[in-house]
Amino acid sequence: MTTNGKLKIGMYWAASCGGCDISLLEIGPHLLELIAAADVVFWPCAADFKYKDVAAYPDGFIDVCFFNGGVRNSEQEQVARLLRAKSKTLAAYGACACDGGIPALANLRTVDEIFASSYLDNPSIDNPGRVLPQTTFATELGDLEIPRFYPHVLRLADVVEVDYQLPGCPPQADRVWEALQAVVAGALPARNSAVKVACTDKSVCDECLREKRLEKIAAFKRPHLAIPEAGWCLLEQGFVCNGAATRSGCGAKCPSVNLPCRGCYGATGDVADQGAAFIGALGSLLEAETEDRARELIDQVVDPVGTFYRFTLASSDLKGRR
Amino acid sequence: MSARTLAATETEREGVRIGVFICHCGGNISDVVDVKQVAAEVAKLPNVVFATTHTFVCSDPGQALIEGAIKEHALNRVIVAACSPTLHQATFRRAVERAGLNQFLFEHVNVREQCSWVSEDAAGSTAKATRLVRAAVARIRHLEPLDKRRIAIHPSALVIGGGVAGLVAARDLARRGMRVTLVENHPFLGGRMAQLDRVFPTGEKARDLLARVIEEVVRDPRITVLTDAEILDSEGIVGDFRTRIRINPRGVNEHLAYRGNAIAACPEETINEFDFGLSRRKAIYMAYPGCYPPMPAIDWHTCTKCGKCVWAVGGKGIDLEAQPREIEVHSGVIVLATGYDPYEPLYGEYGYGSFPRILTLQQLIRLLDPEGPTGGQIPVDNTARPRIGFIHCVGARQIEGVNQRQPDGKVKDYCARTCCTGALHAALTIKEHWPQASIVSLYQDIRTYGRGHEEYYEKASAQGVLFIRYDPRHPPKVEKDPTGQSALLVRVNDLLSGGLDLELPLDLLVLATGVVPHDISELINMYRCAVGYDSFLLEVHPKLRPVELAVSGVFLAGCCQGPMDITEATGAASAAASKAAALIAQGNVEMDPFIARVDETHCTGCQTCLTVCPYEAISRDAETRVAHVNEALCTGCGTCAATCPSDAIQQFGFTDAQVVSEVRALLTAARAATIA
Amino acid sequence: MAQATHVQPDAAATAAPWQPRIVAFLCYWCSYTGADNAGTARLKYPPNVDIVRVMCSGRIDPALVTEAFARGADGVMVCGCHIGDCHYISGNHKTMARMPLLRRTLAGLGLEDGRFVHEWVSAAEGEKFAKLVRQVVEQVRALGPLDWPGRLRERGVGHGMDLERWREHA
Repeated sequence: MTTNGKLKIGMYWAASCGGCDISLLEIGPHLLELIAAADVVFWPCAADFKYKDVAAYPDGFIDVCFFNGGVRNSEQEQVARLLRAKSKTLAAYGACACDGGIPALANLRTVDEIFASSYLDNPSIDNPGRVLPQTTFATELGDLEIPRFYPHVLRLADVVEVDYQLPGCPPQADRVWEALQAVVAGALPARNSAVKVACTDKSVCDECLREKRLEKIAAFKRPHLAIPEAGWCLLEQGFVCNGAATRSGCGAKCPSVNLPCRGCYGATGDVADQGAAFIGALGSLLEAETEDRARELIDQVVDPVGTFYRFTLASSDLKGRR
Repeated sequence: MSARTLAATETEREGVRIGVFICHCGGNISDVVDVKQVAAEVAKLPNVVFATTHTFVCSDPGQALIEGAIKEHALNRVIVAACSPTLHQATFRRAVERAGLNQFLFEHVNVREQCSWVSEDAAGSTAKATRLVRAAVARIRHLEPLDKRRIAIHPSALVIGGGVAGLVAARDLARRGMRVTLVENHPFLGGRMAQLDRVFPTGEKARDLLARVIEEVVRDPRITVLTDAEILDSEGIVGDFRTRIRINPRGVNEHLAYRGNAIAACPEETINEFDFGLSRRKAIYMAYPGCYPPMPAIDWHTCTKCGKCVWAVGGKGIDLEAQPREIEVHSGVIVLATGYDPYEPLYGEYGYGSFPRILTLQQLIRLLDPEGPTGGQIPVDNTARPRIGFIHCVGARQIEGVNQRQPDGKVKDYCARTCCTGALHAALTIKEHWPQASIVSLYQDIRTYGRGHEEYYEKASAQGVLFIRYDPRHPPKVEKDPTGQSALLVRVNDLLSGGLDLELPLDLLVLATGVVPHDISELINMYRCAVGYDSFLLEVHPKLRPVELAVSGVFLAGCCQGPMDITEATGAASAAASKAAALIAQGNVEMDPFIARVDETHCTGCQTCLTVCPYEAISRDAETRVAHVNEALCTGCGTCAATCPSDAIQQFGFTDAQVVSEVRALLTAARAATIA
Repeated sequence: MAQATHVQPDAAATAAPWQPRIVAFLCYWCSYTGADNAGTARLKYPPNVDIVRVMCSGRIDPALVTEAFARGADGVMVCGCHIGDCHYISGNHKTMARMPLLRRTLAGLGLEDGRFVHEWVSAAEGEKFAKLVRQVVEQVRALGPLDWPGRLRERGVGHGMDLERWREHA
């Protein structure tokens, strides 16, 4: 590759939905500014790159590499390590790379259960021979290998040292552009895997325009079954909104359209276990004078694990199901 | 936990020098826990520069050891592993402070009440003690110096119980300038002392003595007496107790002129508890001659509001529609003087309740009282030469497996102290009026321990009372006399004669019953009192702090603490008053500094903490949009610290780093697995 | 690719039979005093429960419980004053709501019933505390070791940069 004074940037997608790659494109017209300042040297989603090209780069060749998606298989771990070696700065981009994201909910199931559901026992599967994937297969032309499926979804920081994190599912475009500008200007904060960029230090409540009346929760409601009152805090109304335990930077877009915050920007501060943090807060806000009443209210919360750990199971203390 | 608490993973913290002192407690700990082994293990830990054991760390030499070690080894953290912190945490904090170290750089580990006393497994308890001390080492690395806060003490006292102990405590407190509120459950003051006739050793009438104390109390303008009152709830801490009291309506006021008429007119009767069921009283009644307040009260459970009493007195002085009222009393200290109840023998115990002519000692005393229900007569058929027997140690000094268990599953194994003297006093009273009576006393040991009490034993013996000593493992057996020549037959094996089996025909049997604490389970919960196995309230230390509870500001007076006679109860009451007054004289009390503080750089503005504080101590700055704790109102519960979803609120003394490091040390001890 | 390697636990640790390791969070005013009363009455219970004291059960962050399990506790107990008796008026009301919610969450993460115990113990309830400890130790013993760190190691967690969380500390 020629050196032309421009920054070298990359983006890789591991166990990912593709939303983070799209979110990078969502910076819209700023893309032109970006490519004026930087060359994309690796972005499998957007263009054809081969691993061997990356392997051929000198170490530290990539100035800033964004890695989105969780680490679910051996290929993803290999590429993570490869990119770490080839990048000066490696950033975990999006909820999956930072905290495990939605893929990490698979940690509630064993590999056997996942394979059974994917290959054997689904109504839309036609697999009478009950064939499961093998990681190696001998052919006349040589051995074929596919990546090994890990028993646990990992975060990027579980396999390599990470310099920055951009939380969110996905990170919001305007914040991403701010971070990219800092990259271009060489003005990112001091390196530290705990440093989160493209976000704020506050909770979603702080950005949210709804008002707190400081009332306790008298009953829980589901957003598809009740219409929230405008202007009033969703949690106080009884909609389970994770905003108090969720980092902001997203502009509190979801509460502004009557959708309770689902916690996709992960924990506030440097809290490790977002779910436990929210349980501590939520338990303090119930209107209950007796144990029976408290239990009655709590029973109205559907799927606590999925609600409190939707995006951060891989970062939590327990990380998955027993 | 936040990454900040990941700092709790560090195994060593620069500059920290920890001294560990493990107490033998004279064998209480070291008989089970190998304290030397614990000290040796802990000495190996990073930052521990000194570790030792001592027989009694709380003693003067023990404390001197700590102070000396702090200076000699330049310690800046001290751990003592000993009894419960409720006993001596304050002692050690003071020792540490005397040596120039901040008293909150001290950690107290409980290896007695929660370790050596609850297990006979020496290896397991030693391992547990080691874990607990290691956890304290991990925690103490993160402690920071703190300063106590001062709270003003309200110069007033609440005395709960209007018997002789409560009256003496109230009187003595008022004499020191305190305002006192005396709360009595019954409509009349006097308690159990009023149910006695003459007291030993002086032979004075109990109610006369009581009247003198009552007069001193009632005439003192600093004392407010509330009768027929109950404690609804009590909140607060030493210096600032707030107690809600319901004063039940007496139904009678001072305008009532014809008391006798009112009582005579009443058609409703019930059992008279003052005479232990031996007589009946009306629904409108005066408890005893000379009682205070000197006017009747209405027992609403029995009263049918028929109005006959109102008719009989011309309508004045009785209000059947009187309502209860509630008041709140603010006090700096509380004195518990709730007294005792006599032991009620179980049905069939020595024939009680199933055979005739069996009384308890308390009932006998009521009968012997010339102002009692029978004018001083005792119920025997054979009046020419009544044969009366006393069995001592009923409901006292019981043995598991020999005596029947009480409803709470335990036996009453303690000595009830006063019943030996009381029984002999009663025996002599009987002899005084009926010299022809034949009295036999079946006892385990005669415990006439007090000053002047032994004379009762000698006199009784000189007057022909027969003493028969029985083995507690083989208590006397009581039957009805089938021949009818006496009421009862008592069979007993007499140790003094070398084991003769005796059969004693009796016309009357008196069970010298022990005492149990009056049931105050609600008060115990309200004030979080420690309670012994025998169900009496437990003082902080029987020798050094005999009238104080571990709960600051709450004092004990009288039989709520254990069986005692009037001399001892009034002594305890005066001691409690003295201690309480000394506390109030301090003017303020020092509070632990375990308050919460918001780290304003980490507050994320979610406002969750604003409504969780029970004291409404948290507010929000509208401009900066961060929360703030009012440290003057904060009492240090830590609820907000647990609520904050950003870990931005920390409680001094119980920060995340401190608690988490303790937990981690407990669990990682002895696990050798590491990850490469 | 790099396989996770781990050092076997030392012989002494594996030779000794497994004992339940239980952490109990007790509030100072009621349940800690209740535990003390069990001691003054010389009641007996097995030495498997280590007590961590806090001033009020309201201080017990659910994250302390998840931390304890994640660190290797086989059981966790949380005790506080009975409702209405809290020394700080209503600290235990928060506990009253947080713990059942936490219990449901832990159940969703596969933690068996009986490992996480939440009970009110008053200052006078030494017998209740002793009985509770005996019961919890036996029920955890019957459930067997939880060993969450071991479980995660088997799944390959922690062979990356987060491994400092799983190192032994003194």
